[in-house]
Amino acid sequence: MFRHTPLRLTTLGLMAAGSLIYAIIAGFFGLEILAEIAILAILVIALDLVAGFGGMVSLCHGALMGVGAYAFTVAANEAGMTALPAMVLAIALSAAIAFAIGAVCARSIGIYFIMATLAFGQMGYSFVFQSSLFGGDDGLSGAPRLDLSALGIDLTDSRTFAFYAIALVALAYLVAALTLRSGLGRSLVGLHHNEKRLRALGLTVWRAKATAFAISGAIAGLAGCLAAQHTQYISPGLMSWTVSGEALVVVILGGLGTLVGPILGAILFVVLKHEISSITPYWHAIVGLILIAVVMSRANGVFGFIEARIAARTRTRKPTLKEADADA
Amino acid sequence: MLETRALTKSFGAIHVTKGVNLKLEKGERRVILGPNGAGKTTLFNQLVGEITPNSGSIYLDGQDITAMRVADRARLGLSRSYQKNTLFDGLTIRENLGLSAAVALGRGQGLWSDPLQSPEVVETVREVAAQVDLAPYLDASVNAVSYGIRRQLEVGIALATRPKVILMDEPTSGVGPEMSKGFHRLLKALPRDLTVLIIEHDMDLAFDVADTITVLNYGEVVFDGLPEAARSSQLLKDIYLGAWEDA
Repeated sequence: MFRHTPLRLTTLGLMAAGSLIYAIIAGFFGLEILAEIAILAILVIALDLVAGFGGMVSLCHGALMGVGAYAFTVAANEAGMTALPAMVLAIALSAAIAFAIGAVCARSIGIYFIMATLAFGQMGYSFVFQSSLFGGDDGLSGAPRLDLSALGIDLTDSRTFAFYAIALVALAYLVAALTLRSGLGRSLVGLHHNEKRLRALGLTVWRAKATAFAISGAIAGLAGCLAAQHTQYISPGLMSWTVSGEALVVVILGGLGTLVGPILGAILFVVLKHEISSITPYWHAIVGLILIAVVMSRANGVFGFIEARIAARTRTRKPTLKEADADA
Repeated sequence: MLETRALTKSFGAIHVTKGVNLKLEKGERRVILGPNGAGKTTLFNQLVGEITPNSGSIYLDGQDITAMRVADRARLGLSRSYQKNTLFDGLTIRENLGLSAAVALGRGQGLWSDPLQSPEVVETVREVAAQVDLAPYLDASVNAVSYGIRRQLEVGIALATRPKVILMDEPTSGVGPEMSKGFHRLLKALPRDLTVLIIEHDMDLAFDVADTITVLNYGEVVFDGLPEAARSSQLLKDIYLGAWEDA
């Protein structure tokens, strides 16, 4: 079951403090990286919710993020909605589509679930790629940023936008954490461990899976809205299965089923990508080697490794303390 | 409370249950006996809806549940434990019992609160843990406890739903004599209004807890009566000694 251990809370606090400090001191390029990390962090929080805790490994989360981005842009540009209602609509649409995908895929498990979500994701990608409403392979430009001028906040400023992006990561984390502490979240973890038993106890399994997938889809839709507002340009590439694959890599790199780990994974992935790509164009190969090393280490990602090391140190320390007490 | 009428299931040419008629009154404790392959577990699987019968019908509290889904039957108060442990590995015993109670209370899909912290669930976990002697192990991970404790939890999960009818598939399977005695006490201490159907090979336990005994052989009910009659039944002895085929 999901729980906030002191290590997790400390890591969250350090990441929040670090990103806020970085948002204050960074230059334009650094702020762009920070926004990129935030978008990826929201997406991997969404993915970890269903894959890490519910065992529903999805390859359509890139497409769900794309649904959010496209729905937001079309609602704002074509339907003339202001950014806030457009965001609400885009997130609701992402959730509704995710619910439908979750309901259909709920009967499959393992590799079949992955393939079914991949098929849905590619259907979405192909549709957007072909559709003139969505700009085809040219994509769409001109997505507005949220207008918070009434609060004296100007999101056209990169630094302010970075703070806004960090706030949305915190919102996504809060939604995911509250979901995991709810009845649905408890059942989601139970489904990961024993679907048959939960059904025998009276749970409507497909509905629980679909609802969890919908919440995850809503969070992915939020990432899409932020992505559209960040670059103010979106293309079908956002919905490609490689985006979903990359998100899965980040979740595994950070620590599957920890919620905190994937955020750490997003920071590491984006920083590594930028640092290594400045040295060699073959940065994917190096990130791949790092991922293989992480997987082969049998630790649950970087955060899982840290958790295991600290747990091991605590275990070896305890007898010493007991002995000390006994001696005293 | 629970009734089957001419319940029949075949897998190809193999008839696993043949026209099984059972009628359990409220609060009755019935033990199902029969050699391996007699169709006992398949009967349970049909009763809870994990297998669909070819023909016949099942009634719970007068309601025809034959076409009902597994989860719907559970919500009507039909609960089961499995012959092979079917637990939430990786979770603690408290979480296993709590999840069961939460789902049974209809809080398995709620979004606004943690059901494991709710007073009803906490109370159910406490009571069931005491019933199945798991109170000292509540915070232990299921992966870290012995097989016997896992068997107790298997029954505990079924009890945590507060069922009207509980089906127990060989609850003492694989446990030692001491733990078997524990199950014996547990079964005797169950509330009298709970209807219990048990598959059991431990004859001492079966004859002691049973109000009635049903014997299945090759999918057919070959005996249905009181424990005293079963104890003196030559037919039952023949079945368990393997003489039935020759008869």
